[in-house]
Amino acid sequence: MDKVFKALADPTRRELLDRLFERDGQSLSALEAELPMSRFGVMKHLRVLEEAGLVTTKRRGREKLHFLNPVPIRLIHDRWVGKYAQPWASALSDLKQDLENEKEQR
Amino acid sequence: MNEEQAYAVVGGRGSMTVFEIYIKTTPERLWEAITSEQMRARYSFGVGTASEWTAGSEYRAGVPGVIDIASGENLEVEPPRRLVQSFNALWSEEVKSEGTSRVTWEIEPVGTSCRLRVTHDQLGEDANSELYGGWPMILSGLKTLLETGEDLDTPGSLRYSGAAGA
Repeated sequence: MDKVFKALADPTRRELLDRLFERDGQSLSALEAELPMSRFGVMKHLRVLEEAGLVTTKRRGREKLHFLNPVPIRLIHDRWVGKYAQPWASALSDLKQDLENEKEQR
Repeated sequence: MNEEQAYAVVGGRGSMTVFEIYIKTTPERLWEAITSEQMRARYSFGVGTASEWTAGSEYRAGVPGVIDIASGENLEVEPPRRLVQSFNALWSEEVKSEGTSRVTWEIEPVGTSCRLRVTHDQLGEDANSELYGGWPMILSGLKTLLETGEDLDTPGSLRYSGAAGA
């Protein structure tokens, strides 16, 4: 989990994750073209993200494609945020259900 | 099997998402948690998945009389390492209209843990993110269940449990 926080502590790495969220499965060349940074710089940041489990890769032919893996962030959410949100979110989802049922009954 | 061969089939139509998680367990226990209807319900919004788990068999996920979640065919069944399924989402008219995609589960032992990789592909371009948006919560719940024996109870994670007959 230390690695996840360290990886997320850098704005360029967050930017890379945002790019992958917008379009998943990009090659190094595609990511490099979008960022004002050397190929080596992008590679270095991708490696940190990979080691933290936030980016996972697959080969397609000669290309190595990068995918956003949001699961480690979900684990952080479930460990801390989820506990606080539980009563709050379930009250809201009850409210939503009540309102929607009401609408249907009309 | 090297990575290149494993994914040689990828790259026909549409987009693909990949989710990975490390779980401290054995491939056998992980396989059981994926294919046991009761265990599955404990980390999949309370929804079990029923199937014979043989190649070519059908599967169905849902809470009878409450909601249908998904159905499809088990295309490849290689316990305890690899499961490939066709996937039809059923929980709303919007997701039904997205048609059939594919889900591949791969279990790789790493030290005393397993890496589980779920690849959801053959999604249409600009596929509805609801189709694959549930995976992080499901995988987090699966990890919690196998490592602690407890259910993940964060909001929504057991939405339909106890819903049958309610």
